[in-house]
Amino acid sequence: MQSFLKNDRVEPKKKNVLQRIKNFEEIYEGFDEHSARAQADRCVQCGIPYCHNGCPLDNYIPQWLKLVSGKDFKLAFKMSNESSPFPEIMGRVCPQDKLCEGACTLNSAFGAITIGSIETFITEEGFKNGFNLGFQGIRTDKKVAVVGSGPAGLSVATFLLRAGIGVDMYEKEAFAGGLLTWGIPGFKLNKETVFKRVEILKNAGLELYLNSEVGKEIDFGELRKKYDAIFLGIGARRSNRANIVGEDSKNVYQAMDFLGAAQKKELKLDRIEPIDVQDKIVAVIGGGDTAMDCVRTAVREGAKKVICYYRRDADGMPGSKKEYKNAIEEGVEFSFFTAPKEILTDSNGRARSVVMQKTKLENQNSRGKIVIVEGSEEEIKIDIVVFALGFGMDLPAFVTAEKIKTDEWNQIVVDKNYETTLGGVYAGGDCFRGANLVVNAALDGREAAKAIAMKLLG
Amino acid sequence: MALMTNMELLTGYRDNCGFGALANIKNIPSHNIVEDAIKSLERMMHRGAIAADGKSGDGSGLLFSLPVEFLKNEAKEANVDLPELFAVAMVFFSKEEQVEVFKSLCEQNDLNVVFVRKVPLDTKALGSLALGKLPDIKQVYVVPNSLIATKKFDAMLYLARKEIEKALSADDEFYITSFSSKVIVYKGLVMPTHIKEFYKDLNSKKFKASFALFHQRFSTNTLPKWRLAQPFRTLAHNGEINSISANRYNAIAKCESLLSEVYTQEELRRIMPLLQANNSDSASLDNMLEFLLINGFDFFKAVRALIPAPWQNAPHLDAKLRAFYEYTSACFEAWDGPAAVTVTNGRYIGCILDRNGLRPSKYIITKDDRILIASEYGVLDIDESQIIERGRLQSGQMIGVDLKFGKVLKNDDINEYIKSSKPYSEWLTKHMVHIQEFVDSAKESVDYAIQNLVQKQLYFNYTYELIDMVIRPSIEDGKENTGSMGDDTPVAAFSKEFRPICDFFKQKFAQVTNPPIDPLREKIVMSLNTGFGETHNILTETGENAKRIKTHSPILTKDKLEILLSFGDSKSAQYEACYKNGFFSTGFSSELESSLEELCVKVVQTVKKDGVRIIILDDRNLATDEKAMPMAMVVGRLNKVLLENGVRHLVSTLCITGEVYDSHSSAVLLGFGAQAIFPYLLYATTYDIVESKGGDEHDIRAAIKNVQHSIDLGLQKILSKMGIATIASYRNSGLFDAIGLSGNIVDKCFVGAHAMVSGLDFADIEAKLNIQHKKAVSKDGSNKIFPLEIGGFYKYSYEKEFHDYSPAVVYAMQKMVETNNKEDYEHFKNLVNGRDGKMIRDFLTLKSSQKPIAIEQVEPKEKIFKRFATAAMSLGSISPEAHEALAKAMNTIGGMSNSGEGGESPERLKTDCNSKIKQVASGRFGVTPGYLRSAVEIQIKLAQGAKPGEGGQLPGHKVTPLIAKLRFTVPGVTLISPPPHHDIYSIEDLAQLIFDLKQVNPTAKISVKLVSTAGVGTIAAGVAKAYADKIIISGSEGGTGAAPLTSIKFAGNPWELGLSEAHNALKVNHLRDFVSLETDGGLKTGLDVVKAAILGAESYAFGTGALVLLGCKILRVCHLNKCTEGIATQEEALRDNFHGTAEKVINYMTFIAEDIREILASLGYKSLDEIIGKTELLATLDNEFAKKFDFSSVLFSVDGPNKCAKPSNEPFDKNEFEKEIVEEAIGAIRNPANKIVIERDITNLNRSFGARLSGEIAKIYGDDGLAEDTIKIKLRGIAGQSLGVFLINGISIYLSGYANDYVCKGMHGGKVVISPKLKGEEFAAAGNTCLYGATGGELFINGSVGERFAVRNSGALSVVEGTGDHACEYMTRGTVVILGKTGINFGAGMTGGIAFVYDKDKEFIDRLNGELVLAKRIDTDESDEVMQHLKKILKKHYTETKSDKALSILNNFREEIRYFWLVMPKAMKAPLNPREGN
Repeated sequence: MQSFLKNDRVEPKKKNVLQRIKNFEEIYEGFDEHSARAQADRCVQCGIPYCHNGCPLDNYIPQWLKLVSGKDFKLAFKMSNESSPFPEIMGRVCPQDKLCEGACTLNSAFGAITIGSIETFITEEGFKNGFNLGFQGIRTDKKVAVVGSGPAGLSVATFLLRAGIGVDMYEKEAFAGGLLTWGIPGFKLNKETVFKRVEILKNAGLELYLNSEVGKEIDFGELRKKYDAIFLGIGARRSNRANIVGEDSKNVYQAMDFLGAAQKKELKLDRIEPIDVQDKIVAVIGGGDTAMDCVRTAVREGAKKVICYYRRDADGMPGSKKEYKNAIEEGVEFSFFTAPKEILTDSNGRARSVVMQKTKLENQNSRGKIVIVEGSEEEIKIDIVVFALGFGMDLPAFVTAEKIKTDEWNQIVVDKNYETTLGGVYAGGDCFRGANLVVNAALDGREAAKAIAMKLLG
Repeated sequence: MALMTNMELLTGYRDNCGFGALANIKNIPSHNIVEDAIKSLERMMHRGAIAADGKSGDGSGLLFSLPVEFLKNEAKEANVDLPELFAVAMVFFSKEEQVEVFKSLCEQNDLNVVFVRKVPLDTKALGSLALGKLPDIKQVYVVPNSLIATKKFDAMLYLARKEIEKALSADDEFYITSFSSKVIVYKGLVMPTHIKEFYKDLNSKKFKASFALFHQRFSTNTLPKWRLAQPFRTLAHNGEINSISANRYNAIAKCESLLSEVYTQEELRRIMPLLQANNSDSASLDNMLEFLLINGFDFFKAVRALIPAPWQNAPHLDAKLRAFYEYTSACFEAWDGPAAVTVTNGRYIGCILDRNGLRPSKYIITKDDRILIASEYGVLDIDESQIIERGRLQSGQMIGVDLKFGKVLKNDDINEYIKSSKPYSEWLTKHMVHIQEFVDSAKESVDYAIQNLVQKQLYFNYTYELIDMVIRPSIEDGKENTGSMGDDTPVAAFSKEFRPICDFFKQKFAQVTNPPIDPLREKIVMSLNTGFGETHNILTETGENAKRIKTHSPILTKDKLEILLSFGDSKSAQYEACYKNGFFSTGFSSELESSLEELCVKVVQTVKKDGVRIIILDDRNLATDEKAMPMAMVVGRLNKVLLENGVRHLVSTLCITGEVYDSHSSAVLLGFGAQAIFPYLLYATTYDIVESKGGDEHDIRAAIKNVQHSIDLGLQKILSKMGIATIASYRNSGLFDAIGLSGNIVDKCFVGAHAMVSGLDFADIEAKLNIQHKKAVSKDGSNKIFPLEIGGFYKYSYEKEFHDYSPAVVYAMQKMVETNNKEDYEHFKNLVNGRDGKMIRDFLTLKSSQKPIAIEQVEPKEKIFKRFATAAMSLGSISPEAHEALAKAMNTIGGMSNSGEGGESPERLKTDCNSKIKQVASGRFGVTPGYLRSAVEIQIKLAQGAKPGEGGQLPGHKVTPLIAKLRFTVPGVTLISPPPHHDIYSIEDLAQLIFDLKQVNPTAKISVKLVSTAGVGTIAAGVAKAYADKIIISGSEGGTGAAPLTSIKFAGNPWELGLSEAHNALKVNHLRDFVSLETDGGLKTGLDVVKAAILGAESYAFGTGALVLLGCKILRVCHLNKCTEGIATQEEALRDNFHGTAEKVINYMTFIAEDIREILASLGYKSLDEIIGKTELLATLDNEFAKKFDFSSVLFSVDGPNKCAKPSNEPFDKNEFEKEIVEEAIGAIRNPANKIVIERDITNLNRSFGARLSGEIAKIYGDDGLAEDTIKIKLRGIAGQSLGVFLINGISIYLSGYANDYVCKGMHGGKVVISPKLKGEEFAAAGNTCLYGATGGELFINGSVGERFAVRNSGALSVVEGTGDHACEYMTRGTVVILGKTGINFGAGMTGGIAFVYDKDKEFIDRLNGELVLAKRIDTDESDEVMQHLKKILKKHYTETKSDKALSILNNFREEIRYFWLVMPKAMKAPLNPREGN
């Protein structure tokens, strides 16, 4: 260990940019054993493991880094999967530079450990070697309904199944995965990876009901009668609005619809309404991870030009730096300190241009308050606009009907055990936090499962 | 001891001293012997101590052969005619009626009191403290009453005395100093110079003795106790018995199996208890020895049974002698510790040295049949022409005189006699079983797997962290893992996490009054040899006594366990009833306390009724409905119950336990009475680790061996830090502090331990076990993929054990010094102060009856800064950048930075980067006259918070050219700091070092750094009496250095405990105003500092915290040289990343000072001075958890001054001798062209000669000093200790005569030449530990020297004609030539420099410790350069000393060169530099 002076930080190889923009395959090749070990071996094994501290799941990062370095892949696999419901996914989608790698002692001067890639390696390698997750089947007569198969739902299901509690999962779409499937493009997260996890859970006793929307196909009241507990992991998918003139015009899309459509095309679903960006100019408005997903999706869909408009600068972008870099590599243009004022349409009601205005920051602070620069309007011609301004909560009717308490942002209120005001009904993930990181949904699922197990099994 | 009250702890004592014996070998009594003995005693006064009244002293005394003529005469004058056979008791009476008790008990024992004489005294000789306690001193003359009594006269005297003592035991003042027909003791609380004046008897010319033992005491406390003066009835002792608590326990156990040829069983009962209560260690040893002797035990064997020479691991020891020791070890364990003891039974006189030679003992035999043994040479003026022999005892040696036949018996004579007196070898062959003989190493069992491994791991708290950080490293390296940056977790009792019972114990360690041992470099003295079987009658020597099963370690492997069990299993072929074993499960379902009692009752019954002799405690039966009682509790409780039932001597206890996973937990079980341990869960875990990685049988065997070995090494370290060499002397000692366990638990289960902050009781412990049990056995389904707890004890882990340095705290600290924003400090402060019941101080809140005042009224921050220091961190342990930043910061604000020990570059000494505090530690690296002279404070580090009682190492790869230069060593060569200061084995040695330092730098304050532990108060009082100016109490929280994990975690107490104790102990002893107190260890906020002030500290040091300010992120990788922040590293690439600045440190110090001011204002006080020691400002927190604990000992306060009131603690000895010489030489110093020659007579009273002169020169010229021979001093006589200490270039000292210990210690330049009249190898010419830490200069001695010659030499050139043991230990540079015999263990830990040894008898190789060095011949062509170099040195030696030996070698150099060995380190990278050392 501590070989950071000898070995530099090396990120996994990315596929050639000209090749990779032609499809939705993952751009990273992933570590092989040699590079994973060499990278893990750089770890300082700090007395205060800042990476562990920076991880919402409190993953035992230094421990499994040492195990990888020492070639004990089996133990690393166990330890990594102990605290995380799907480490191979988290390794791909977490903004590590904001979390573990950002906190890594080596980050400032020597280059952080490539924690995420090693995390992915551990579980992928484990699956390859046939290591199993040791589910021991359903060992109780308790059963829990999980509404939604996104990260929170999958997480809660994982930990409930580990506790031997049966789980029935209800998903309104035709594929499981929620945000993991629809919200994160394949070039970041291969869908096979998601479905593999679902399969594992099914083998462990999960019963998955697709195309089953609670409140439509399934009655919430029935669920309450049938199950010992219900977990709501229904996400927050209502896009935030820009509240500008023209935002409802044709050719103006919300990020989730845009990404979903692309994904559905990839999955060759029957009911698709493709969004055609071929040879078009696409403007994506927003600076978060979702915005990056949109711009890069647009590139892959054959857009002529993709521009990202953001009202702060690169440092102020809330998402992962890695994704910003990838986007630039893939030819995306960025226009910082720019905010939309109005969308102008043509006679068919299609968006034809956006009026942009310049912004500046108070106090030079990259996350400081934004001020519009008066008189800086400029009209920019575009073909398609995608808004990626974050998400809010659309409450399903049954939540309101059952008087489950929500807050001013329509987010479901839970106690420290993730239980809502309606006894036996739990919630986690974006529907309680608002749009947030996958890792936090995974955390909610894990902690809620613990609380449910404690309640049901004592 | 468990429930020791504050006052008992505060008024405890340790004593050390000067001692000796003088005898006429032909047993001819004379008054001269009496007078000379007194004179000798007077001349060692500097080895004793003087009380605050300047006159009382700590006691001195003499034991004389019975002055028959004088006594008869005295009786006659009272008209009493004494018969041929009579005895005289010398008694301290406190009440008149005691005389009658005395008389009547004599009568009951067939003795007749014929005369009671009031001893004439002159009380003007006494100091006021002594006078206040003056007993009524009488002599009682006794004669036998019948014929039987005549035959058994001495036996009856002893019996009578024991009965009288028992009858009057309620009176602490009553004391019989001696009661014998052969000897008499005159002693008291009187200074040696006044003893003759006090006891008028001693002036009578009729008072004639043929021999005398004499003793001058240095006690750590000042509360006069007449009876503690020495000699005792059979001995006088200089040193300290470290194993005393085990020895005392064992003495009780042994007494159960006594059969005496002298006494009936009924009489023996009347004699018991054997050891008098409330006595010193020496007095207990005296009790034991006296008992053996009076029962007819052979004089020499008795002495060697109690203080054996090292034999277990001493190669080349005579086999028959080894047999004697091995045989004896079945009945006796060593009374272990530094000891020079003179003993007598009236016929023989003996003097003996402990196994490691830690005390000086020197002897002279004269032509007029006298033998003088003393701590020092020169205590009597004996013309050299009268001397036949001048020698010294080496480690473990004994010398004796048979007065009956008028013969001196040397060590070899005594050994010869002992080993052939009985057929020990035969006995051993017949009766003793060595387990190893039955083990087939090639086929050793690998059957270590167990059922329910995980369940047991969960119950016994085997976390992943433990496996990763403790067990796995042991498997891989065969030794314990190392960590750094101290321990920031709460003590076990305050933790919210489960902590095993063993975690509640903190190991005791040696500091000041006794030295730790280096278990690696001096492993020759260490032994873990363990035996099973009954302790037989110790008073007789029979073959049966050898009946033992033995093994070399108390940690058994499976094969060994099975072999042991087979001897006690009636179904086995080799069954013997005396090894019959019985298994006892420690399982229980509920009611821990009563279950424990039931188990103990059951065990005792089985021992008594069924004859079980090996008790096997087994905690493997963990089940859903069964928990295991903590093994440590079971062992400890049982040990007490067995003793109370009188069956302890019959049994050995073996623990089959999951509780043991490291050396600390092993030590706890052994310390509380376990004979051996089979750590099945540790082995099973080891098996699992190796097996899961695909290891085969061979790998498993190797892993088990490594794990066992690492515990062995750890145990040796734990023993050695307490200065104990053998496990037998450690077992039953209870050498721990128990923090936060209830007095009830400690009293019942943990005999010997100090209960501190009494707290959790059985029910609390049981509640914790229940949680743990539930976790282990619950089926609540949390089917974990990785089932163990992750742990968080060694490193931070989210929601696990609390760490004071959490990520949030580190971030907050670094942010606040970056922004220098008060809000950020507030945030940090609230984080720390809000930690809620983690540290002792958290339970104490401030309260004040005064009204708050305006902040403006409070003293300015500048005054507060003066009290701030940074803790010692050497350049080497931290980078130059970090070291200088700290110095600069502290100098800027007017505080002090601490150099640590590792030198400081001369360029820095005159700038604002000069560390005002210069440290002197056991390595003496870079300790030069210039370094010392540049200090405002010189700090002697006696122990270090992270690892008290241990040494350290700076690995070669960290020794950069800069560091090597500052430390006067060679780059790349590993540097070892020994565990002890080799010039401090006792308190008077510390006094000597302080004296040395006060000479070389008379303006500096001398501070002494101690580590908090129960009993540190006593030590502090002793240090104050040794003339220190300041005492630092370091807490266990602190400590940045690298250390074994078990040391970081389990040695040393929180500073609150030690500080409060030291503060009060100083007050009780009227010494508080002589010294100031400082504390360190985890201080972070103003509140911490204020609390420290209230508990008695006047100044405050910051260690870890200061580093965090400079960017340290508590990575705990300091020992790996990989500090990413460029602090604890010498690696250039990492140092480039250093972001610390002096400003950051200043920002922090300012925040804290302002915080303190605010708190003072809120309390209504204007300055820190006003609150120091004012414990009424603290109240115990009022909540349920806090109420479990008793903090009264922390808040305890006795009356008296709270602060230092003296400008300096001036030594008694003003050193006028050298002051005068400095005056004479001042011209030469100022104008070096005026060379000067000075001539003087010198005596042993003139100590540290050369230091004052060197200091004066260093003040002006730094380490460069003056040109050679600028000041030439010719001395005649016998020099006192530390001749030539810290000598500097320009001074040459020629001594015609000889010298004592520490010659040329810390020498930097100049020259010392010692040439006695009686010269050559046969005659000792200087004492122990010469050239310790020398950095240059030359020393030529025409004679032999004592132990540890040239220890840690790093630059001096020296020629001597013979040495004692351990020569050239830890040497790192320089050249040593020895023209005669050396002792054993030559070159241990020697990593640099070279030595030439002349070895005509071809014995040297056996004495070499070949671990790091090799010896090679130099009579080859390729060694020509070396040969010529040696020749030059020899010529110089001849020129300076006229050595016959040098001359004869030079005259026949071609031939003689064949007999030389060149000794050099194996790993020496630098080419041999012939000029090195010049």
